[in-house]
Amino acid sequence: MSELLFYAMAVIALLGGLGVIFSKSPMGSVLSLLGSFFALAVIYLLAGFHFMAAVQILVYAGAIMVLFLFVIMLLNLGGMGTRFELSAAPLTRARSQIAAAVAAGVGLAGLIAVQRASLPRIAQGGAPERIDDINQIAIALFGRYSLPFQAVSVLLLTTMVAVLVLAKRRTRESGQ
Amino acid sequence: MEVPLPLIWLVKIVVIFGGLVSTAALMSLAERKVSAWMQYRIGPNRVGPFGLLQPLADGVKFIFKEELIPAGANKFMFRLAPALSAAPAMLTMAVIPIGGTVVLGEYSIPLSIADVDIGVLFLLAFSGLSIYGVILGGWASNSKYSLLGGLRASAQMISYELTLILTILAVVALEGTLNLRTISENQQHVGEWNIWTQPLAFVLFTITMFAETNRHPFDFAECEPELVGGFHTEYSAMRFALYFLGEYCAMTVLSCLNATLFLGGPSVPFWPEAPWFVGIAAFCLKAGFFLFLFLWVRWSLPRMRFDQLMRLGWKVFLPLALANLLITGGFIAFGAH
Repeated sequence: MSELLFYAMAVIALLGGLGVIFSKSPMGSVLSLLGSFFALAVIYLLAGFHFMAAVQILVYAGAIMVLFLFVIMLLNLGGMGTRFELSAAPLTRARSQIAAAVAAGVGLAGLIAVQRASLPRIAQGGAPERIDDINQIAIALFGRYSLPFQAVSVLLLTTMVAVLVLAKRRTRESGQ
Repeated sequence: MEVPLPLIWLVKIVVIFGGLVSTAALMSLAERKVSAWMQYRIGPNRVGPFGLLQPLADGVKFIFKEELIPAGANKFMFRLAPALSAAPAMLTMAVIPIGGTVVLGEYSIPLSIADVDIGVLFLLAFSGLSIYGVILGGWASNSKYSLLGGLRASAQMISYELTLILTILAVVALEGTLNLRTISENQQHVGEWNIWTQPLAFVLFTITMFAETNRHPFDFAECEPELVGGFHTEYSAMRFALYFLGEYCAMTVLSCLNATLFLGGPSVPFWPEAPWFVGIAAFCLKAGFFLFLFLWVRWSLPRMRFDQLMRLGWKVFLPLALANLLITGGFIAFGAH
């Protein structure tokens, strides 16, 4: 039963991811991403990470995606309409093909690395300690992993700046 | 030992969800009755005794009305959005303990549908989702009024959800648990109610409730003089009713949450050994007070301006809630506990 649910959710998550790429309207992309997030939350639940699942919905679905929707509705209203259509553009453009190849390569490398490493497997009798305990998570996050935690936030900031630069350049090009 | 008998679960689910939906239906009557009383009118009194069957008549009317979908609307999202707005509000009721534990023969039955350790998080996560119904309904209608209503609702809910979470967090930090049942059981005596230790959080939470449910004086998402009907301008018949049901359910759940977090849930003042049905009555009374407050405020205060709402949220409530959390954290860390 739970295995069936896992595969169903995995399929939904993947379909959602594909929808993000191939949807013509940004609205469709956001909604696909939302579906993908929900499927992920269910997978966390199946693995016994109740806290992770709740936070996934609270933070990603409840806050971040609402912000995305808000920005898209605010900026991208002209001529977008309300129709969901798919577009094959991500497959035909050379730049997109290179990006997709790089992303796929990195993903595959990550999968192989995880497969080789002796990380605890959820499938093999669950996690070693009780990861779901909120106190444990807090102690780990603010104690042992406090430096990586900060580093990730700096990484997010860098990404944000990069996105700003990219978006800014595009408006300047189209403005000329 | 708890025995999860399917029958007990079924009864609990039917009673609690039935109670929630009935409360929502009765609220639509109470809204008109209270407004009538406050304006020296009588209000609906034709259907049933004292007009009590009015919600039923409304329901029948809504079902038989014609359903219109505007041209150019995204039909799928247009149909889905009202359900997205109502379902999360109803789901969240599952974690709220409406009473203590009932002992029937050999079974001890906790009076909540689900007793989860992360109850508060579950409730916040799902109540945050009801905004999608409003945004997507506004967007899918393909109408500028609806779109503006949806946009306003999203901006408002993002702003006020922060305050809501921070005030709840102060209580959670004090109680040291995210389990709503434990929080309510820790407040058996009237002196232990969190309203005494967290008065500021209580006030902030109570005001934020209005903004979270898009209620007056913060109901910009459906501000009639400017936006016709806001996000539900294009909705008719039962889908329109579903939005209303969702709003009333959200109000009920937040009222119950307020009673649980700050007013001790089912605890009866000066009678800690009260039997369980008295506890449930006390809980309903506390939640009912907040529900009445919604109506009372609606018919007393004028609507604010949108920039006032945003300024209030970001420049007053958020700093106050943060300061409150900081002080609470300080007290917990440096003794006085």
